[in-house]
Amino acid sequence: MKKYLNLIITFLFALLSITNLTSCSKDSTGAEIKLTQQMLSEKTWFLDYSITGKSKRTYLGQSTYFIDFFKNDSTNDSDGLNGKYSVEKIGNILQIHVTAKTSSINSVEYEIIYNIESIGRRNLILYFTLPGETVPTKRYFSTKN
Amino acid sequence: MNCRFLVLSVFFICCAAGLSAQTTPVLKDTVLTQRQKDRLFLRQAGQDQIDKIKKNFTKTWNKVLLGFTDNDVMLMAGMNFAKQSIRANDYTSPFIYAVEQKNVYKPGFIVGFRVDGKYKEKHPYAVAFTLNKYASGTNYKETKSVEPFNGSFSNFKAAEQSLSLNLTALYKKIIPISDTAKYKFYVVAGPSLDIRLSGQGLDNQVNYNYRKMFLRAHLGVEFVNDDFYTIFFHYKQGLHSITRSPIQTGFNNFDLGMLIKASDLF
Repeated sequence: MKKYLNLIITFLFALLSITNLTSCSKDSTGAEIKLTQQMLSEKTWFLDYSITGKSKRTYLGQSTYFIDFFKNDSTNDSDGLNGKYSVEKIGNILQIHVTAKTSSINSVEYEIIYNIESIGRRNLILYFTLPGETVPTKRYFSTKN
Repeated sequence: MNCRFLVLSVFFICCAAGLSAQTTPVLKDTVLTQRQKDRLFLRQAGQDQIDKIKKNFTKTWNKVLLGFTDNDVMLMAGMNFAKQSIRANDYTSPFIYAVEQKNVYKPGFIVGFRVDGKYKEKHPYAVAFTLNKYASGTNYKETKSVEPFNGSFSNFKAAEQSLSLNLTALYKKIIPISDTAKYKFYVVAGPSLDIRLSGQGLDNQVNYNYRKMFLRAHLGVEFVNDDFYTIFFHYKQGLHSITRSPIQTGFNNFDLGMLIKASDLF
């Protein structure tokens, strides 16, 4: 009986080992970036609120700033900037890197980096520190549908 | 993926080594070519090995399962109704999901087989192996607000669809009501183990929130109609969270279905 017990234990151990060896490797950063791109792209994001320190501006019900992100990595916004974007994770922060310029001939290319605080299927919160300011500005976007 | 390939390769090498390890005398047949002799030799060696394994397995099986008699293989199918109760606790992530409360049991289906028998001719038992397609309702017990946006949010997105292999061992107790020669009522109870076969959605791949296996308590009643068929109604209560800490997700479901003896169908 002891022999059979040993056999069963060996079999279970082998089964567990194989399960562990064949389990998927976890590439969470890749998944985070993919999920962010999926949530961000093919949508128009409208600015609803802008908060810097204690100053809060509301743009609800008004003609407001908006930005489009497309599946082919291109972007354009209501200020007339067109270009490319990418999602990256630097340190522990997800970021949207936008390289864009206006359609005028002498236009200079800008590189803008937005830090993502939160992103959902319909809501987006970005933050960044404007030049000459010490307090970060938070921008709240929604898709309006 | 590479690990899986490596394990498979090692497994096949082991099989090949095991199969070719046999030494049997070469047949002295001058009509056969050397190639045919080699083939015959290899097939014979393999067959011997298989027969030996079969014999050993049967011997072991009979010794280990001593006392389990009157076994009937039953085919089972039915519907399940499942619900998840979620408490995200301190789970944080940059992803936010607008919460849609679906505090209901949603229907899925089950299909599989069950071995019913008696242990030491006294204790009726059943061992079931089923595939379960769950479409569960999601009840978020706590949500958070993301001001100045309106509505309730959660950093955790519950997966509503899943496929799992369920293994259940049940002890059956007859309830002595009505004519037990014709109709039998049983109360069944036992542990139930679910092994998740479906992958996790992209929303949960960030932290691989769902566990691969979860253990539940299985309780139910069964009605046996003159050994023609059995109708069952079971309830499975989660014994632990099906998601990793700090997210606490209770998963429970009802099963409603029918069992028919495989020998009656085939």
